[in-house]
Amino acid sequence: MKPAVFSYSAPESIEEALGLLAEHGSEAKVLAGGQSLVPLLNFRLARPAHIVDINGIGELSYISSNGSLRLGALTRLTAVEESGDVSSGHPIITRAVSHIGHRAIRNRGTIGGSLAHNDPAAETPALLLALDSEVTARSAGGERTLSAQELVGDRFFETSLGDDELLTEIRIPALAASSGWGFQELSRRHGDFALAGVAAVVTMDGGAISSAALGAFGGAYAARLPEAEAALVGAEAGEAAFAAAGERAAAEFPTTSDVHGSEEYRRHLIGVLTGRALAEATSNTGGENG
Amino acid sequence: MTATQSTGWIGVSAPRREDALLIRGRGRFIADVSPAGALHLAVLRSPFAHARINGVDTSAAESLPGVHGVITADDLEGIGAFPTVWRLPGQKECHTPALAPGKARYVGEPVAAVIADSRYIAEDALDLIEVDYEVLDHVVDVEAALAEDAPVINEHMGDNVIIEYTFPGINALGVAGDLDGAFAEADEVITGRFRIGRYSGVPLETRGLVADWDDLRQTLTLHSESQVAHLLRTELAAALGIPETSIRILTPNIGGAFGNKWDRYPEDILVSLASMRLGRPVKWIEDRRESLQATVHGRQQLQEWQLAVRSDGALLGLKGRVLSDQGAHLHSVGIGPAWVTGAAAVNQYKIANYHCDVLGVATNKTPNSTFRGFGGPEAMFGIERMVDKAARKLGIDPAEIRRMNMIGADEFPYFSPGGAVYDSGNYPTALAKALEAVEYDRLREEQAALREQGVRRGIGIGSYIHVSGFGPSAILGMLDYYTGGYEGSTVKIDPHGRATLYTGMIPMGQGTETTLAQVAADHLEIDIANVRVVWGDTDQTPYTGFGSAGSRSNVAAVAVIKAIEEIKAKAVRIGAGLLEADPEDVAYGDGRISVKGAEEMRSLTLAEVAQQAYWGHKIPEGDQPGLEATYVYDPANFTTAYGTHVAVVDVDVQTGKIDWVKYVVVDDAGTIINPLLVEGQIHGALAQGLGGAILEEFVYDEETGQLLSSSLMDYLLPSFTDLPDFEIHHLETPSPHTEGGFKGMGEAGCFPAGAVVANAVTDALSDLGIEVDETPVTPARLWGLINAAGG
Ligand SMILES: Cc1cc2nc3c(=O)[nH]c(=O)nc-3n(C[C@H](O)[C@H](O)[C@H](O)COP(=O)(O)OP(=O)(O)OC[C@H]3O[C@@H](n4cnc5c(N)ncnc54)[C@H](O)[C@@H]3O)c2cc1C
Repeated sequence: MKPAVFSYSAPESIEEALGLLAEHGSEAKVLAGGQSLVPLLNFRLARPAHIVDINGIGELSYISSNGSLRLGALTRLTAVEESGDVSSGHPIITRAVSHIGHRAIRNRGTIGGSLAHNDPAAETPALLLALDSEVTARSAGGERTLSAQELVGDRFFETSLGDDELLTEIRIPALAASSGWGFQELSRRHGDFALAGVAAVVTMDGGAISSAALGAFGGAYAARLPEAEAALVGAEAGEAAFAAAGERAAAEFPTTSDVHGSEEYRRHLIGVLTGRALAEATSNTGGENG
Repeated sequence: MTATQSTGWIGVSAPRREDALLIRGRGRFIADVSPAGALHLAVLRSPFAHARINGVDTSAAESLPGVHGVITADDLEGIGAFPTVWRLPGQKECHTPALAPGKARYVGEPVAAVIADSRYIAEDALDLIEVDYEVLDHVVDVEAALAEDAPVINEHMGDNVIIEYTFPGINALGVAGDLDGAFAEADEVITGRFRIGRYSGVPLETRGLVADWDDLRQTLTLHSESQVAHLLRTELAAALGIPETSIRILTPNIGGAFGNKWDRYPEDILVSLASMRLGRPVKWIEDRRESLQATVHGRQQLQEWQLAVRSDGALLGLKGRVLSDQGAHLHSVGIGPAWVTGAAAVNQYKIANYHCDVLGVATNKTPNSTFRGFGGPEAMFGIERMVDKAARKLGIDPAEIRRMNMIGADEFPYFSPGGAVYDSGNYPTALAKALEAVEYDRLREEQAALREQGVRRGIGIGSYIHVSGFGPSAILGMLDYYTGGYEGSTVKIDPHGRATLYTGMIPMGQGTETTLAQVAADHLEIDIANVRVVWGDTDQTPYTGFGSAGSRSNVAAVAVIKAIEEIKAKAVRIGAGLLEADPEDVAYGDGRISVKGAEEMRSLTLAEVAQQAYWGHKIPEGDQPGLEATYVYDPANFTTAYGTHVAVVDVDVQTGKIDWVKYVVVDDAGTIINPLLVEGQIHGALAQGLGGAILEEFVYDEETGQLLSSSLMDYLLPSFTDLPDFEIHHLETPSPHTEGGFKGMGEAGCFPAGAVVANAVTDALSDLGIEVDETPVTPARLWGLINAAGG
């Protein structure tokens, strides 16, 4: 398990990195925390001719908050997990990130790398979908803003980033005061990729649900669950509404199978976890959280 | 333990002397062995489950700069392969070749090897080897392998049945029981069909080798992690066609072995041969993917049982068929584990009438061979599930049906119809103690109350026997097991009175160095700091054909005791001369040689006598100078460890996930040398047993024959967060079969674990009528059962 031959550069600025990406095009791969890329290299499943190591680019690592949250792409998952700015405004992120692998992996792994890798069983893409996030992608030619949906939507282990583009920033809007969140995941062991998981954000109007966002993972790709969300709007929070949403969620989830579970099982789990995430979300509205 | 202590070392929780080294990172593992000028070997492995190899073109690989050589099957003329040491009558020969000759039979089978300046270059060269594979139909399911039209994996065998071995269920007089009568008399016949999953030791440290051939001296130094270095030396000499006197095997620290490293492997030959042919040291470290594909697997069986029971709960007769999924070749121990399953299946119960057919079946998978437990956990799964099924059918409590059928404390030695003689114990007491520890009656009440609240709690019981201390060599001979079961020990007292002990055992985490030092200190009545243990060098240590296994310290310990007895007797003879006393009046005690009754006045230290022994000035007639002895102990009989485990679990019926509530172990391994290490061994073995019960599985794709669990992302090892707290209690019934009373204990922890979990989960879901008959009990598998039952 040794990688095939590649050349390597370690730029110290975004501009420099973008220049290298423009130069090497599809032959290049960005190396962030390496927690996904290095195993792929060692298994020789990825054989880039050139590695652009962005770990020396300090300006890509930051957390800033003024209600909405801005995360530099190179911010380590542990930094996100431990950030008070993150947990005070977006505790769902703190919780979700704690499910990513183990501490050693989060110490190296980055939020941008996790998103760019877009593993369908990963927490980050579905979470950012549910949070209506957007990202900045830069290339030598310029800069563009993409919604999380545009970046990862319906995609399996790939994104809409061009070969010459670097993901630089992730922006997450502030949550409404009357909103609550739930995060439910089932994995074989703690820290494993999920068998299935659901991130839920709901806004309440008294006892009724005024809006709901559901991001699901563990299937063919990270997905919002619009049918289930629609069924929740205007519904009274409670077992009946959660069960109905769960049924729709299961039906619309882009399921898949692997050694750890069949399509049918994962579909069923999304239904169960949707119900549980909603129960959690509606019990912690108004800033309290579990 | 700072104060020195001269007596009572047996039974003391001495901290492991190995630990300081390992914890401080000063251990030395194979990867740390890097002779100057070493080359690196990488193995090309078959990507197909079954494929004819019509040609191997190595020219591009050979011309890659940095490549020193490529070995293919064509280069192995005159080179042998390792035999199967267990050769049961009727067993067809299909041992593992060094390189797939003309045909690859499983994914991961070695096809060629490259030797290069670095592992990187070697792997680049593997990419350049062109193999002309002709893909053949494969079979990975054991029943499918038995079908008429199944692809035949080893053509010369005619079909995929390697052996069909029958246990006729004979009693002590050699007479078979009345099985038909038992089934005719039965009020109920309980049936069970069990699929025991394929998993293995998966040691954290993978295999590795460094071979160093010295052309001028004509010697091969092999650094290896083999658990049985002497047997490897013998077999390697035969395979390579060089004198055994030319080979020295050195064993560094081992990062886990679990039986997997007992076997001899193709790479042992390839790496040695590469060094001999290239005249350079050659190093190979197995990577994780290779380890999962090419280090032996274990366990996998399909069992079918029928149990004849009377309505009062009496177990009258048991008959069964065990299909052992052997993989493509027989490895070092043949179908040994499955044989043990047949021998142990009646467990702790007085089932007088027994019959079992064990079939070894070839499939296109990695060979299934030695793994901690060695057929025992498989046997326990079958019988302990059957007993639970019988209890449920008859409306008898599962604890009660066990108790009433257990062999009584006064019935030893007990001749089991599986063929083993159980030496001693108190099975009902172990069960009672386990039930008491979990507060069984209260637990049952609580279970009913929780059920009302929608919580599904299950209680699972599993009792076990572990026939250990393999074994009297003569009996191994009768079983066609071509190696000995003895263990030797050399003890040398130096002129300062300190002891050095040489053992063929290989410490691989079980604390052998500490326990053997304890036994020596105890019997010499000196401080443990004055005992050094030498291991891991075939040039220095006594020959062993059985070597280290989790349950061998009991045999090795007796060899130490016997060698020390000889030393003490000689010290007394020499000391008597020095003390001018009759040897009859002199005794050894407290590390001194003294005239009985005048210990204060007429007494010499061991050091004083040893000094004299080496000066040789006053050696008694018939004795030689020096103070050392070697004893090779061949056990008189097997020892039988046993116990009962109880698990309490909660099951989430919506997801199929299991939560641990409690896990209690009661075991009896005879006299305990070191309680701390015993506890550690139980923890480790139990983790391994529970790993196989809920997480660990080698999954093969039926369609493609690929091993799907080929990384640690898909092959799931348990960590402490996945395991319950273990509550451990002991009984201590010294074995009458061995000096010292020790029984083997390094494996027993894993024995009932699978059955206990399956019984607990079945109990939790009793209202749904679900029977958990397959391991591992994964959430997906369990939910499948729940869903099918309409839960
Ligand atoms: C044992 C283990 C367990 C794990 N468990 C989980 C888990 O439970 N959940 C989970 O979600 N993940 C898990 N992971 C995966 C890991 O957490 C993430 O995939 C990861 O951290 C990716 O971030 P990275 O910075 O390491 O990215 P890298 O591995 O460096 O890169 C990943 C991919 O993203 C690209 N990339 C990285 N940064 C950028 C950028 N700024 N712009 C454009 N492209 C970029 C790379 O080119 C590469 O294709 C696990 C990993 C391991 C080793």
